[in-house]
Amino acid sequence: MKVLIIEDDEDGAAFLASGIAERGHEADVARNGRDGLVMATGPQRYDVVIVDRMLPELDGLSLVKAMRAAGSATPALFLTSLSGIDARVEGLEAGGDDYLVKPFAFTELMARVTALARRPTLGAEPTVLVVGDLEMDLIRRTVKRSGQAIDLQPREFQLLEFLMRSEGRVVTRSMLLEKVWSFHFDPQTNIVETHISRLRAKVDRGQATPLIHTLRGAGYTLRAPN
Amino acid sequence: MPQTRLFRTSSFRLAAIYLALFTVSVLFLGAVVYAVVHTQIAAEIDQDIDDESAALLKEYSAHGRDRLQALIPTRGGSFAYGLVDANGKLIVGELAAPAGAAGWTYMQEPDSDESGAEGTVDVRALVTRLDDGGALVVADEWRGARGPIHALLSAFAWALAATLVLGTIGGVLLSSQALKRIEAMRSAAQAIVAGDWRRRIPETGADDELDHLARTFNLMFDRIESLLEAHKAVGATVAHDLRRPLTRMAQRLETQLGRETTRPETAAALEAAIADIHGVLATFNAILRIGQIESGARRAGFREVDLAVVARDIVDAFQPAAEEEGKSLTAELDEALPLSGDRELLTQMVANVVDNALRHTPSGTHIVVASARRADDGGRLTVSDDGPGAPEAERKRIFERFYRLDAARSTPGDGLGLSVVAAIAELHGMAYAAEDNAPGLRIVFDMRN
Repeated sequence: MKVLIIEDDEDGAAFLASGIAERGHEADVARNGRDGLVMATGPQRYDVVIVDRMLPELDGLSLVKAMRAAGSATPALFLTSLSGIDARVEGLEAGGDDYLVKPFAFTELMARVTALARRPTLGAEPTVLVVGDLEMDLIRRTVKRSGQAIDLQPREFQLLEFLMRSEGRVVTRSMLLEKVWSFHFDPQTNIVETHISRLRAKVDRGQATPLIHTLRGAGYTLRAPN
Repeated sequence: MPQTRLFRTSSFRLAAIYLALFTVSVLFLGAVVYAVVHTQIAAEIDQDIDDESAALLKEYSAHGRDRLQALIPTRGGSFAYGLVDANGKLIVGELAAPAGAAGWTYMQEPDSDESGAEGTVDVRALVTRLDDGGALVVADEWRGARGPIHALLSAFAWALAATLVLGTIGGVLLSSQALKRIEAMRSAAQAIVAGDWRRRIPETGADDELDHLARTFNLMFDRIESLLEAHKAVGATVAHDLRRPLTRMAQRLETQLGRETTRPETAAALEAAIADIHGVLATFNAILRIGQIESGARRAGFREVDLAVVARDIVDAFQPAAEEEGKSLTAELDEALPLSGDRELLTQMVANVVDNALRHTPSGTHIVVASARRADDGGRLTVSDDGPGAPEAERKRIFERFYRLDAARSTPGDGLGLSVVAAIAELHGMAYAAEDNAPGLRIVFDMRN
């Protein structure tokens, strides 16, 4: 995976670049908006662009707008120190695909960048999701494991659907809060944990191989046994 | 404006006192003028009598009493006469001088009024002793004086009446005017006390004492507001400026944590330090967020939202966690609570309250999120628990920033959750309060209707 980091804060950019490199990916850094735009729309293809909202020369919003105007569909993740909801909505409206409020845990950023990089390209939307012996029919809203029907609450269905669509990738707590519950804040109560454990009880209990895994300090992942 | 209040106003009392003083002045002036005019008219009458008397005496000294006797009946004018001989017998005229009397005196002149009834009239008389032992009386009716003095007195009476009427009307108008402005001041001050810091006392532009007072008060409110803003800004500035170095610190620690050479016990310490830093940063973000909500910028994006639906989603999300802790979380949300608002913020508002209820109650607590309609048709959302509750003095303060109940100091949290709730409720024009659920705590949101 090749990532472009457009960030004017030297320490911040170095931290991101080294973290991405340590996880076996490539990262380029642009230190201002204009350079960033040139690199993002240049011959080098990036899988994800990480854009700071506040940049010298050309601000992050304008940069992504220009990128989209130039025909680039590279997923863009906004970094913002403005925790306001307006900032997020503006970012998404400008053509951004995700946003992250500073400060963030690196695992959070990595999970989101990975999710963006593997974002399925537009095409025929699958009507059935399959992971190992787990099957989800998106039209009939039914779930089966090894042919056995599993009865899920609507929210549990949504949660499982998101995990299945992110198969093999890390899904963080806040990603689930945003995507499943539309909560753009972090409640003190362990909402995600308890829902996951209920889902686990329905999906994994009594099965030889669990599909839902907890990654300590990072989040969850759903993957088929190798 | 109630009648009794009007009469109790200081301006009305002042007007009444002025009116009383003015009435006394008018009465005094009337008395003085009456005395002066009375004296003047009396002097004029005396002068006339004196002149007439002198003319007759001149005839007497030139031609003797018979001449006088013949002359008196022919005199015209308003005078009355009397000529008596040495024995006091009336020779001619109708006024008999009392024996021995001389000089100025008052007498009664027999008279008949227009209806023919017999009566007497007060007259002013000058008695002059003649050298033959008789006396000449020349008198004039006081009636001549009555006209102008009556006119004068009635003029004063009218003036007095007018003074009383105009003074009373003026007093009422003046005091109701002043009362209206004081009422405006009071209601503005009350709104400010209630938290509407932008409110100011209206100035009329009259540039009078009340305007000066209003201006002084407004300056005071400006000052209070700017102090309050500064107080908030300090928090926001500190939070904002400290975020960057703290972020960098967390990043360095995370980099270190990621190194394979780091020993396990060091890694644990690093993780704890990172968690602490994130905790501080989360608090800072909450402070900044409250500031953003309070700025009211989000109002522009308000949409129709049903608060009951928002609350139901929250109950669904929190229910498993509540059950895991041995508590029950139930929804009684059949009554729809439509309002114009920000769904995301309202979600956070209800979530924070439920979060709060879950964190500060023991296992076995029942938490109920309910919607209802008030008697005045406004919507109401309540989150009530039957936990330990909070004493009255503390209930009033739980929405304050960083305020935490003593009992809650040991539980995690930054003391900002309910401040965020307060800011969001205020943005939506909702009244909020923490009440005694007997037992437990009840947070109430009352929507405008």
